[in-house]
Amino acid sequence: MSFPMQDEWYPVAMLSDLHRQGRDTLLLGQPIHAARDPNGIPIVTTQNGQHLVTIERFGHLWTSLGTPRKDLFSIPEADQPGRTLVDVGVVRVKCSPLRAVENFLDIAHFPFVHTDILGAEPHTEVENYQVEIREDSDEVWATKVKFFQPQAAKSAEGGITTDYMYRVPLPTCSVLYKTCPPRPAEWDVICLFVQPLTEELCDVWPWMALFDDETPLTDMIHFQQLIFLQDRSILENQLPRRLPLDPGMEVPTRADMTSVAYRRWLKRHNFTYGAQLVAK
Amino acid sequence: MKLYDYVLSPSCYKVRLLAALTDTTLTLRPVDFHPGKEHQSPELLTLNPAGSIPILEDGLLVLTESSAILTFIAAQNAPQWLGQDTPQMAAYVQQWLSFSHRLTTTLGSARLIEMLHGHGDLAALQHQGIAALRELEAALVQQHMKGATYLAADRMTIADIACFPYAALAPDGSVSLDPYPKIRLWMRAIRAQPGFIEMPGIHRLHELSNDPLETTNQ
Amino acid sequence: MSMPATAWWTPVALSADVPPRMVIPATLPVGPIAVWRSQSGQVTANHDRCPHRGMRLSHGFVRGEKLSCIYHGWSFGKEGGCTAIPAHPKVTPPASIHCGVMPTVEQDGLIWVASAQPDTAPPVFDQYQPLRMLNFCACIDRIKTVCDASSRDPATDTYVTATLAGFVTRLIVTPLNETETNVFILVSPDLSTDQKIAISRAAEVLRNLCERPSPEGQQT
Ligand SMILES: N[C@H](CCC(=O)N[C@@H](CS)C(=O)NCC(=O)O)C(=O)O
Ligand code: FES
Ligand SMILES: [Fe+2]
Repeated sequence: MSFPMQDEWYPVAMLSDLHRQGRDTLLLGQPIHAARDPNGIPIVTTQNGQHLVTIERFGHLWTSLGTPRKDLFSIPEADQPGRTLVDVGVVRVKCSPLRAVENFLDIAHFPFVHTDILGAEPHTEVENYQVEIREDSDEVWATKVKFFQPQAAKSAEGGITTDYMYRVPLPTCSVLYKTCPPRPAEWDVICLFVQPLTEELCDVWPWMALFDDETPLTDMIHFQQLIFLQDRSILENQLPRRLPLDPGMEVPTRADMTSVAYRRWLKRHNFTYGAQLVAK
Repeated sequence: MKLYDYVLSPSCYKVRLLAALTDTTLTLRPVDFHPGKEHQSPELLTLNPAGSIPILEDGLLVLTESSAILTFIAAQNAPQWLGQDTPQMAAYVQQWLSFSHRLTTTLGSARLIEMLHGHGDLAALQHQGIAALRELEAALVQQHMKGATYLAADRMTIADIACFPYAALAPDGSVSLDPYPKIRLWMRAIRAQPGFIEMPGIHRLHELSNDPLETTNQ
Repeated sequence: MSMPATAWWTPVALSADVPPRMVIPATLPVGPIAVWRSQSGQVTANHDRCPHRGMRLSHGFVRGEKLSCIYHGWSFGKEGGCTAIPAHPKVTPPASIHCGVMPTVEQDGLIWVASAQPDTAPPVFDQYQPLRMLNFCACIDRIKTVCDASSRDPATDTYVTATLAGFVTRLIVTPLNETETNVFILVSPDLSTDQKIAISRAAEVLRNLCERPSPEGQQT
């Protein structure tokens, strides 16, 4: 059986933690094995011994069960010299991979889920922002997103209004660009790479490319893990588990324009692994 | 006092929580537990051959068991948290400190498997974790009948701090807390303490702060 | 959630286990619900799914007379209507945003919920006092067998009589699914604390007996 999402790229391992013995894992429900060959080259094999295509990028090993339409996306900002590249480490979440991405695109939850860090009452208002599906790159983009944050980053001191841009280049990956406190002219890059194990289970590999010479690496990792683990307790408690793509099941508002565009884009491409199509 | 700490570690959180509730100042030394496995680095193994965190360093003193660390902090800064009013209370505290270790090895291990790619027999750990939660619930039922909310006394002691995090984070290891009404009330009472701090998976009680929309409308 | 053929009351919690400003999760035959008590003391039951993004409302928080969702803070009143959306503080939420509310009765120290309005009131247990709720990993028939089936109330089938620590108690048994059953233990109101503790401990032993593999042929 073939379906559109099998021709996309997915992260399956952190390169710094990939060894000869490798790891047995799942991709879109299929058992695969990711490892290094005797020459140190990463290889991904299916159960019947078939080698899958691979790419090493953004600190992770990427693969696809099918034939990707295009090269894995790039993040030009991440190549700028002077950035610290941070492997945050895998976190398993019992949720739909699409719900994991949608949560990442959302700012309205900051005051309630990341209280006193990424948001705080009474600063709950989400101002209008721009959302588009860019036809040339076939990506979802949200720009001119603003939110008041008590502690936007490990490097932030005190509350600031943070600017955000969101980008969905793949059905289970999202990149966010946010105000970089030490370098106001640049954007910090924070990514959520989601490996869909099944329709209701995923391994999430957050990854970051930050300008920050002050904060120790471990503190940056912990900050991001703290934030993501707060999200995890939400993600494991949404009903239905799968992302409803039919309008009517859930009620969006203006603050959810990114999620509305993401759902529309998923539907357009038949990216429905982890989605619920008929309202139950 | 220096705490070798990890944000996602319930055992380290016990120490941070008691410190917050007793106005104790800790110097935190973040340990890259995941993904870096720094707790198994030569530096940390020199301090704690068991390869676990938390580790508390105070001058020449090095402590590597969270229950001992709680005891040390309480004895130094807030002796009433030791729960030594009566022989019975002191014994109860010891019983719950020992019991807390069972929560760590069952629910804590299930959590590592379900969350951070840990290894082990998940079903067996969950089963043992449920048995421990049932004992906790039964004990809290009895305490309620006697008019007490907490494990060893009618006030919080280090016994409650030792048992609270792994019980509260049971759902991280796919163990439901729905069947335990008295555990729920007990956790709520702990979360309502002045100075309470949260950790991922244990959020604060938003009901304790005012609704800003309500005040602007009135 | 689909409605069952006949709506009937399900006991979901002891009144004492839901103090003011608290929300708890519970299960009805039709699915999960959130049961909460407002500051003024009124109990409400909602579907445990926020209409916004499906977050379980039982993880939320109660301020005053409203239940709020932990995800984005949407608030719901006792009739289920959405009263506030923090992302749009100046907007009055449209009346169409609603989270289903279910009939609720508080009686004799228990909270009862039904998926739709039943024709009759919940059964009365005014000679008793609820002691505690326990979750058994056993089906209802197994519990009846262990407690001696002949003693159950044949008319309504809502409770089982069991002798625990030498005291006659009534157990309201409520199936959650094929393998799990909630058991509410009702006792005489004039027992001492020590007697109540003895019954509570005996109930743990009863659970243990019910959860052991049953002798062949007795399993349903
Ligand atoms: N030493 C015990 C155990 C604490 C514990 O389990 N710590 C975990 C982190 S939360 C650990 O270091 N585990 C080591 C490992 O899993 O290798 C205590 O202090 O309570
Ligand atoms: S899911 Fe409840 S407010 Fe958004
Ligand atoms: Fe979040």
